[in-house]
Amino acid sequence: MLSEKEQPILCIRDLNIWYGDEQILRSLSFEVQQKQVTAFIGPANCGKSTLVRCINRLNDFIPNFKSTGEILFKGVHLDASTDTTALRKQIGMVFRRPILFRCSIYENVAYGARISGVNQSEHLDTIVEKNLRKTGLWGEVENILDETPEQLSRGQQQLLCIARALAVDPEVLIFDEPCGELDPIETVKIETLVRDLTNDCTLIFATNKRRQAARVSDVAGFLYGGELIEFGATEKIFTNPQDNRTEQYVTGRLG
Amino acid sequence: MNSMTTRAERKQKIVLQSITFVILGVAFILMWNVLIKTRVVSMQAVSAAPLPNAMPTNLFSDLYLVLLMSFLAILFGIACAFYLQEWLPETNWVRRLIEGLVAILTGIPSLLFGILAIGIFFSYAGTLKMIGGSPVPQNAEAIPVQHDTTLFYAEALTFILMVMPVTIKTTQGALHSIATPIREAAYVLGASKWQVLKRQVMPLAFTRILAGGCRAMSRAFAAAALLIGIYTWHYTTESGKMPGRFMLFLSGALFLSVLSSTLIETHRSSGRNTVNLPR
Repeated sequence: MLSEKEQPILCIRDLNIWYGDEQILRSLSFEVQQKQVTAFIGPANCGKSTLVRCINRLNDFIPNFKSTGEILFKGVHLDASTDTTALRKQIGMVFRRPILFRCSIYENVAYGARISGVNQSEHLDTIVEKNLRKTGLWGEVENILDETPEQLSRGQQQLLCIARALAVDPEVLIFDEPCGELDPIETVKIETLVRDLTNDCTLIFATNKRRQAARVSDVAGFLYGGELIEFGATEKIFTNPQDNRTEQYVTGRLG
Repeated sequence: MNSMTTRAERKQKIVLQSITFVILGVAFILMWNVLIKTRVVSMQAVSAAPLPNAMPTNLFSDLYLVLLMSFLAILFGIACAFYLQEWLPETNWVRRLIEGLVAILTGIPSLLFGILAIGIFFSYAGTLKMIGGSPVPQNAEAIPVQHDTTLFYAEALTFILMVMPVTIKTTQGALHSIATPIREAAYVLGASKWQVLKRQVMPLAFTRILAGGCRAMSRAFAAAALLIGIYTWHYTTESGKMPGRFMLFLSGALFLSVLSSTLIETHRSSGRNTVNLPR
């Protein structure tokens, strides 16, 4: 178990990203360990989203997008020739806003399995139930599985999005500010869930809430102006930061 | 690098402008021919006094076939729009060229297309016959409009030219209106491009694509009505009476355009809260 943990699941070396002529990220290098929560903190527009979207190659859709450097997932290079559909089944993602499809709650969770070709209803039933239970949503939606998710609250919708992402059985799950639009009670639910999920997968968490990162993560990185100022154990970042800017940010004087 | 792109853009602009001028020039020449030649032909027609009943009947049977063809053209236009919008990048010169042409063609009122069609039917039937390769009837001079494949080609080309741009434009608009987050939400679950188009984009864009198709068909119907009106008035001695088929096609056009607006309106009111679009 320990030897497995030592090998990083994700390895990024000297990553630079441009949108047109504007450089968004400057020479980032870090490693993400398995079954840990890695958080990226920083003020708005510092490149957190761009960074996490690089990992599942979601930036490929953006015109004028250009990048240099290496991204290694389980020792394999990710580049333009990567099979992105297979990659994204291994690296899931949850967005800031809960974006649900216009179909029933059941079909939303079953989406990933269906596009992979699973059609037997018993199999789908187990997948849906298992993942809704994992997110703690099963009790609330058990009787309304065939209805649309409109009637759910924002927090429930976000949990449903997480269940949908988990149903694909990813190895890495990326959260791009998942609590950006939620109230504190719903936020606590998601944070608890994120801690529990470390048993199953590796988590990458982008947030601009410092305290949230401190509560949730094992490893944290501070991004500022497209540069990775500091990267290390969360405790160290928050209690004993090496860089002056990190200290200013975590104490609330910057950003 | 910056100056390069601007130079390339300027080049494209010049190309687009010159194409526009060429099209306008051709249209002008055609219109001029219509004005000159229709008078000659009409005088021939009057002097020969040919079968007033037989001619329009042939025309109508052609028109029904042409309407069917415009329907196929709409389907083809939708496919074109999908390719342009979903596969070609915005900077691609083919896409920019087609979008420019579409913008020009959608701006032309269907009335002008009707007149253009008459111009081709009357003036260039012989030329088209060579392209189409159909046998020339013996009494071609006596009866200006013949029921043969030539006429069909001329009509079909006009209708396609009229129907396709509208379809392409509305379909592209419908596809463009599907917000990126919905697509991304499907992509991050490992969906392929086809799956995203089939499961996310098509259900949401379908109503608007349908409305666009209706609008294009309505255009075709309106021009057909116009053609029938002009032909019939041309060949019946008792003027001032509205031909029944003219009314049929005109009401068809009206019905389709109203249907298209209704579809868009109902789509807008029902689709507002179904998806969490970014606000």
